[in-house]
Amino acid sequence: EDAAEESNVSAELVALRKRLVDEWNAWRTRCMEEVSNVIRVKGKKVETSRQDEEREEIE
Amino acid sequence: MNRRLSRHERSLTQIRYNKDGDLLFSCSKDHVINVWFSHNGERLGTYDGHNGTVWTIDVDSQSRFLVSGSADNEMRLWEVSTGKCLFVWEFPTAVKRVAFNEEDDQIVCITEQRMGYQGAIRVFDVNRDDGRNQDTEPTSIFHPIGSKPTVCAFSYMPGMILTGHESGKVALFDAKTGEEVLNNERAHMDIVTDLQLSEDRSYFITSSKDKTARIHDAKTLTVLKTFSTETPLNSAALARGAPYVLLGGGQEAMSVTTTSLRQGKFETRFWHKIFEEEVGRVKGHFGPLNTIAVHPAGMGYASGGEDGFVRVHHFDESYFKAKPYGDIEILD
Repeated sequence: EDAAEESNVSAELVALRKRLVDEWNAWRTRCMEEVSNVIRVKGKKVETSRQDEEREEIE
Repeated sequence: MNRRLSRHERSLTQIRYNKDGDLLFSCSKDHVINVWFSHNGERLGTYDGHNGTVWTIDVDSQSRFLVSGSADNEMRLWEVSTGKCLFVWEFPTAVKRVAFNEEDDQIVCITEQRMGYQGAIRVFDVNRDDGRNQDTEPTSIFHPIGSKPTVCAFSYMPGMILTGHESGKVALFDAKTGEEVLNNERAHMDIVTDLQLSEDRSYFITSSKDKTARIHDAKTLTVLKTFSTETPLNSAALARGAPYVLLGGGQEAMSVTTTSLRQGKFETRFWHKIFEEEVGRVKGHFGPLNTIAVHPAGMGYASGGEDGFVRVHHFDESYFKAKPYGDIEILD
């Protein structure tokens, strides 16, 4: 009985840990997407301002 | 784990690795900034000029410029490779925290509230073409109302600054307007002593005198993880490539026996980042730990103590092989 209870507890703990890891990884995946979006927008801004400069030179 | 000892005359205030991890910068109450080779702890050079405690340093991602803030009311820009001071900004009060942004073209700094002067956060543009030719005026300055800021860093969100405060508050400020965009008044119950970002700046860890360290979402300021210890914390760092956080602090004991002094019993404490459980301790210092930095590639870490020592630790194979919770993948 004791052994059965112990393995139940550890099964619960294992399940909890798995849930915590899954939650963390899901959140990190969302974060990484958002960070790469921010980087893309920043990159575009740099490009646009460079194009503007070139245009001015042509004029 | 092997360790090497290096020494300042007085207690350490902050240590920082450069991006490549080959150099380690340290500053201290002895007015000196040192740079060490991180692989052998050998001193490469010093940055001399401050006339007071150097509270804070940061190095840019190219290891070209170093910025420092001091109790002599100056912020200085240094050339990393030569040790030359390139520029000095002067303020009415001490500079308590400095940090570069991700692009290395801005510096944020916190100056102390003192003798009729309000505490201030200033942002300076960095002229990277000519280090000696900087604007003395900040591009923005603002005075957070309420609790004094103690730590700051640029977020991954453009133009946003993360701060930690004396009250335990954590906040997000618009760098241009000085508007407090978001805050968590109860992030901690006491002074926030350190704030360190994840590699992509999307989350950060804070330490506090309230004996806890916490991981926060940089966008929402939501507390994601809490690490509760029984000692006031001075520093917290995020490991790289392994799911741990490193915590340091401690109180100077009133009656320390010579035995425990000899052992250097003040420890760096390793906690599991996701499960919030302590997984190990590393002894080393003879007084409280004031500052911890993790090697950017996760190969080791360094700690700076009240005892004046910088200790550099290299993780051995067993650290990387150890999987105390089984074989689970955890994203950094």
